[in-house]
Parts: sequence; structure tokens; C-alpha cells
Amino acid sequence: MNENRIILDDVSRFYGEVLGVNKVTLSIPPGITSLVGPNGSGKTTLMNLITGLVRPSRGRISVLGVAPSQPQRLFRFVGYSTQFDAFPKGLTGSQFIYAFLRLSGRPASECRELTTRAIAQVGLIEAAERKVAAYSKGMRQRIRLAQAIAHDPRVLILDEPLNGLDPLVRAETIALFKRYAAEGRHIVVSSHVLHEVDMISDQVVLMSGGYIVAEGQIRGVRSEIQDQRPMQFLIRCRQPHLLASKAFEQDHVVEARLLPEGEVGLPAAELCGWGPGVLIKTRDADAFCRILNRLALGGIDIEGVVPADDNVHSVYEYLIGGEEANQ
Amino acid sequence: MIRLWCTQVLAIIRLEMKKTFFARRGLWVYLLAFAPLVLFVSHSIAIRHHRDQLARIARDHPISSAALRDIQVGMTCDEVTQKLGQPYSQRRWHRRDEHNEQIEQSHCRYTDGKTELYLFFDKGKLTEMHRSELDTLHQSLQIFAGVFQSYYLRLAVFFGCVGVFVNLFRGEMLDKSLHLYLLTPTRREVLLAGKYAAGLLATVVIFTSSTALQWLALLGQFNPTAVANFLASTGWDQFSSYLAVTALACVGYGSVFLAVGLLFRNPIIPIAVVLLWEGVNPFLPAALRKISMIYYLQSLCPMSAAPGQDVPPLVRLLISPVQPATRSVAVLSIVILTGVVLVAAARLSRRMEINYSDDTQTICS
Repeated sequence: MNENRIILDDVSRFYGEVLGVNKVTLSIPPGITSLVGPNGSGKTTLMNLITGLVRPSRGRISVLGVAPSQPQRLFRFVGYSTQFDAFPKGLTGSQFIYAFLRLSGRPASECRELTTRAIAQVGLIEAAERKVAAYSKGMRQRIRLAQAIAHDPRVLILDEPLNGLDPLVRAETIALFKRYAAEGRHIVVSSHVLHEVDMISDQVVLMSGGYIVAEGQIRGVRSEIQDQRPMQFLIRCRQPHLLASKAFEQDHVVEARLLPEGEVGLPAAELCGWGPGVLIKTRDADAFCRILNRLALGGIDIEGVVPADDNVHSVYEYLIGGEEANQ
Repeated sequence: MIRLWCTQVLAIIRLEMKKTFFARRGLWVYLLAFAPLVLFVSHSIAIRHHRDQLARIARDHPISSAALRDIQVGMTCDEVTQKLGQPYSQRRWHRRDEHNEQIEQSHCRYTDGKTELYLFFDKGKLTEMHRSELDTLHQSLQIFAGVFQSYYLRLAVFFGCVGVFVNLFRGEMLDKSLHLYLLTPTRREVLLAGKYAAGLLATVVIFTSSTALQWLALLGQFNPTAVANFLASTGWDQFSSYLAVTALACVGYGSVFLAVGLLFRNPIIPIAVVLLWEGVNPFLPAALRKISMIYYLQSLCPMSAAPGQDVPPLVRLLISPVQPATRSVAVLSIVILTGVVLVAAARLSRRMEINYSDDTQTICS
């Protein structure tokens, strides 16, 4: 089991008196795992711990069964694209990839082949022979990504990999991550762009102040906190008053609010094209869905149902706070 | 495994080459290394010019060396002219004494092509005499030994190694690019070995080539036949010894400064401590004197720089160890000292960390 997971067991890291991360216990399966949290929440420290760039003050880490203190084994199957925008002076994009691939001890011909492939994967073929110093921010981000994937790693750690990318490249990069995840690789991504995290993640790890505040699939995390934060559903129907009164008869429904057409104050995407409807808050989403089916069968014409806060942004806002979620 | 490590070391050397040889911030290393070359080349040109000039004068005003040696203070101007003929350069002037009487004074120069004689006459009598001889090969070699031991080893190679080896890790930390190495499947020890090899290659090439060129410039002022004879006897041995001492200095100081760059956020203080320790070496008790690079390096120098009478006693102490170590002991000691420092640095490198949130970016704990 440990051979196919990234395991952090009660890991803490302090910088003198300053907390990096504290008592982190995680077991990361294959797929895309997003680390989400505000600046200073410990995302980068966690990635550096996984890759051995910093050592834990306490606890144990293993990446597919290998300790980060063994870089000679670890980086045969791990690629890490840091946020750090520094490159050796005077190298072109392809020289940069090739030179560091050579450090793995591979033959020159194989390194050349891997370099070309990695550069093609990030769409930098035309700029490959230009000096990295002349690259734009987005191109430097892509060349770092190319370096991380060049040796075809089974584990990819990516610190804010979509920063500075234009929409087209961003979409291509997300597609690349998804393809890797579908192949059974581990992709650990840090981000604070929550809608992207929502779009790409199989599971999320929410961090704040060096602690993990929640982890798992976003829906699971949401249902875990529904006692404190009732789930919200937006329901579009022709008889909103009737639906509201029927729903309110249930014990687990704590609020039913009629929404006139064009109601604001909820995410624009969810309101797009909606007519009159009802906003229901419930402590038991499963029970509510069953009731909803019964009401529909009983003659209420329901046109659509959307969970209004079943996303990373809402969960993050509930767990960490509105201000930080908007960062 | 060894083959893999060698491949990785070569890859690191290739990556470091540009930084160690052509970095803009490393230009001063070249200045340090080649400053004595400029000195020896200019000296050689000046001496050759002077020697040619004297030879030409000796042809125009032929004087025997024996006649030059016969000149004594107290001789009259006529007696000197009788023995040596007319000088090739003469200046006369008059001054008045306390009785307002005019006194004739003169200054003249003679040469036999090798020795130059400066004579000063007062009231027609020789009162002062200076003899200036052109440097012999042996004298020039002594000068070279002095410059090599007092400046080249103690300052040029020392600070050159500071410039190259400290930057191997510290420079990467400042450029924030060290993590790129740490994210490759390379053992930290191999990374350290690769960086050390790259620094060593650069310093050995720069400093031994400067030593060789200085030597060439030094010999360039002498007659080719004399030089050929000298090289055939002990010259090549001396030459190769100087090259070996230069290379060993890079080996020893390089290891120390590589470790300093790895260990210390601010390397200036440890560098100052090492400089001080190497500087006070001649004043230390015999046992302590042996815990330094300079003691063994000076012991290996082919010629003890016997300083002239005009050299201050402090400098005299600096350029010659009192009881030099034997050649084998000296080489072995430098190799052992280097080995110990590198092994300690390799062990520490395993604990090397990068901290992106810190202003200094990298810490070693």
C-alpha cells in the first residue's frame, strides 16, 4: 500500500520559532491532489518536505516507499517544479533541460530525446534554442514544468504551476495533468486559484497556518462539515412557494428562501439563465435529495437543482475564512 | 555505481564550467593570478632593453672589466680617465663653498656591458662610487621564489580559491538556483565532488598557467643558451615543482573554501580567520605551524627564497619556513588535510536544506 502512496506521518517543520507545518499526517493516492491555502499556510513547505529540500523537525515521510533523504532514488521517479524563478546563466531552454537530465547519468542521446519530448509537451519547441533569460514569465513557468516532466516521473510535485500561463496554455497544461493522473501517476499541485483546483482535483488538502484543516474529495469534505455549515441547493421550479413550504416541513431543512428572477449575491455562474427559484439550506443533503425526488413525483415541476456551495471555494470559506478564500 | 558517479561528476563540471571560468564576478580572480605575470613581463622587457643599451655602449666605449674593478675612491679625475677613458655619460656643475670659492663637481658613468659604475667627483677627486650589476639567472630565480611565496601563494592563490570555491555553493544560493541540483537523482556527496572538481579544474588551469607564463617571462630576459643549460640541469625540476605547488595550493585551499561556502551564510569571517591563521604561521610554535597549508606549500617550493639584506625581517619570516617538511610529508599532509575537509563537507551536505521563504534562501544546519 505504502509503495503507491505519498505518506506523511505526523510531520512537523519549524524554522526556529516559526511554524512551517505542524503535525501533518497525509496519505496521498494517485491522481491529482491539490494543496489549497493562503500565502504562508505551509503548502510550499509541505512540497519541499516531500522532495527533501527541507527536512522535517519531526515525523516521517515516504514517497512511494522512498525516503526524501535519498535523492539518488527519489528523483528517478519524482519531478518537482518549484515556484522559484531562477536558472543557470547563459543557458538556452533546451540546454537547461538537457544539462540537468545529464545529471541523472543517462546517455547523451537519451537525454537529447527526452529534452525534445519535454519541450514539445509544454509547447516551447520554437523557443527551445533561445536563452532562458529572454523568456517571458509564462515561458519560464513552462520550461520549469518541462524540466519536472522530462524524465517521465511517476510523481509530479508542482508549486503554483498555472501561474503566469495564458488561457490556452493553461488549458493544455491542465489537460496534461489530467492525462498523467489518468495514467495512475501522482500529481500534487498547490494553488490558490480555487476554481482551477475545483476543475482539476481528485482530492484536496486544505491548509491554514501550517495545519491541515481538511482533506479528501471535495464532496466528502463538504458533507463532513454540513452540521456546522448546512448545504445549500438552488432549485428552479414553477411553484417556488409550494416547494419552499413542503421543504420547510422537514427537520433537516433550516432555511428556505424564495429567489426572484435575477437574484444576486450568489455565484454568477450558478444563476446564469435561472428564473424564479428557491434556496434551501439543509443539514442532511442525502435526505433532502430523496424528498426532492418525492416532491417532483408529487407534481412540483422542478426544472433544475444545483448544489450552491459544494465546491472548494465554499468549503475553503467555511473552514478558513472569507478573506483568505478571496486571496 | 562508480561509473554513474563519474558521469554525474562530469555533467556537473560541464554545468559549472561557464560559471567558474567566465563569470563576470570572477574576473578579479584572473587579475590576482596574472598580476605577477604583468610584473615579470614588464621587468623582463625593461631588463632586456637595459642590457642591450649597456652592450651597445660597451661596444662604443670598450672598457675591460678588470679596469672597472681597479677604480678606487680617492683617485683623481685624470687617473680615472687614464684608466677608463672618456665616460659614456658625464655631467659637470659648479657650486660655491663657505669662502665663496667656486668648486667643480662632476658625475660620470662607465660600463663594460655587464656592470655599470657611477662615479662622483668633488674638486677633481673621486668621493663616491656605486656599482650596479645586471641580474644573474640565480638572482632572478630568487626574486621569483620571493614573489611566489610571499604574494602568489599567500594572496593570489588564496583569494583566487576564495573567489571560485566559495561561490560554488554560496553563489548558487545567492542566485537561488541551488535547488536545481538538489532536485536531480544525484547523491549530495557526488554533487559536492562534482563542484569541487569543477572549481579545481578552473583554479588549477588559471593559476598554473600563470605560474608557467611568469616563469617564461622571467627566463625570457636571459641568453637562450644560458637558459637551455639551466633547464637541462635543474630548471625543469624547479619549473615542475612550482606548477605542482600551485596545483596543490588549489587542492588544499579549494577544499577549505568549498566547505566554508557550504557551511556559512556569511563566509567573510571564516575566510578572515583562515587568512589570519595562514598569515601568523611563521610566528607560531613548531607544532601549530604544521596545521596549515602554507607551511607545507612553502616546504615544497624548490628554492627557499633567501631574502636580501634590504628585505624587512617580517617579510623574511613570511617567505621561508624555518624547518621545512620533507617533500613526501608535505604532499601527504596536504592530501590528508584536503581529504578530511572534503569528507566533513560531504557529510554536512547530506543535511543541506533550501528554505524558499527565507530571505537568504538556503540554510545549512
